[in-house]
Amino acid sequence: MRSYSQIVGDGGSGVAEQIAEIEHSIARRMANIRHVVAIGSGKGGVGKSTLTRQLAAVLTLRGKRVGVLDADFNGPSQAVLGGVRDLPPMPGAEGLLVPRTREGIQVLSVGSVLAEGAALDLPSVAPGSSHTWRATREFANLAELLAAVHWGALDYLLVDLPPGPERTAQFANFLGPGIKVVLISIPSALARGVVARSLDALRPLPNRVLGYVENMSGYACAGCGTVRPLFPEEPDAAGLDIPCLGRVPFDPELAQLSDRGLAVTDMNPKNEVVAAVTRVAAAIEQRLEEAS
Amino acid sequence: MKFLCVPCDSPMTMRATEESEPGSLSVIYTCPECGYEMAMLTNPSETQFVRSLGVRIGPAVAAAIASPTNGVVSDGPVEQAAAGKCPFSAMIGGAATEVATDGPSWTPEALARLDAIPEMVRPMARAGIEMVARENGHQLIDEAVLSAARARFGM
Repeated sequence: MRSYSQIVGDGGSGVAEQIAEIEHSIARRMANIRHVVAIGSGKGGVGKSTLTRQLAAVLTLRGKRVGVLDADFNGPSQAVLGGVRDLPPMPGAEGLLVPRTREGIQVLSVGSVLAEGAALDLPSVAPGSSHTWRATREFANLAELLAAVHWGALDYLLVDLPPGPERTAQFANFLGPGIKVVLISIPSALARGVVARSLDALRPLPNRVLGYVENMSGYACAGCGTVRPLFPEEPDAAGLDIPCLGRVPFDPELAQLSDRGLAVTDMNPKNEVVAAVTRVAAAIEQRLEEAS
Repeated sequence: MKFLCVPCDSPMTMRATEESEPGSLSVIYTCPECGYEMAMLTNPSETQFVRSLGVRIGPAVAAAIASPTNGVVSDGPVEQAAAGKCPFSAMIGGAATEVATDGPSWTPEALARLDAIPEMVRPMARAGIEMVARENGHQLIDEAVLSAARARFGM
């Protein structure tokens, strides 16, 4: 009896060819992007999205051309953080054009096309079984968007990943072996443990992990100008066996600015959080230069 | 997915397909050698899972489904699969944008430009473009209005 591979073609579906074409389109669209950096954690609530937005702003201030891809379909925040919530993507001559922040950062976020407070609703003919197809559908949607967006030439595309160690690895796998990963943690054993799991999930993949950033590393007091501990100190806490790219304190002023689509580049340059994000951006640039 | 007639060792060809009930397909295959027929009936989960791959087909492929001319079988040991196109994909369609009757009109070129962007972002893009058209008193959306909309949204 004939086997599957002895019958030429894929049964007439054309599915394999279509998927190959989408992958080709994505590669073509991303050919002019010098560095793709995925920013993940595994842990939710550690400030991945905010840091992604702030790093994009600082890199832009340093003269780089930057785009942000919000890969978190279920908790998109980059549209709000970038102040492009009400700016729709537009059809352009060379593909889909995405809105830009005040600083000129291109932002692709599902948050730009969802009503405020609305969850992403994917139509289904199989109610109650979304666990079997939902992730596949999300990746297909992401692929369709990436195959359509005309980014132009970019120095950096920062990808804001959804939480979950396995999701971190899945997205790294999806985006390809050339992308680099930065992990975000906070000074708690619980968060470090989850980030360690993400690191472990990434280990079998060829993607290079540039290092981690310790976010919420103290509280920047606007009154006295000092940085005080935000979490209890854990002298015996095990570290992560990847380079630390910097520590960024929590600053309530930045939290307020973020809600209005503004960034650290709108703050007093002498503010500690501005200096901290700038150091992290410089460290990422340096690590990328060393890697290339 | 491919179907093989075991007695004939021959790839079966798709003869007909229909959405027999919401979320389920009936796909009938026939053996070009002996004429044996079988039907594959999908459950909603199977249908949805294949839909979720995000593949789509255009009118040409839809036509191929409507009038299958498949079952190309060569004389060699390696044969073409039963052809015809994916019925799951046919169900997805690749819905073209419908023009609202109460909004500005679209030129075919402008509508084609809109249809070329992912379906997921199309409604908001369309709403933005039509808003710009109304703001500027345009009844017909053409390339000039698209350009004005891009400028309006900072692109």
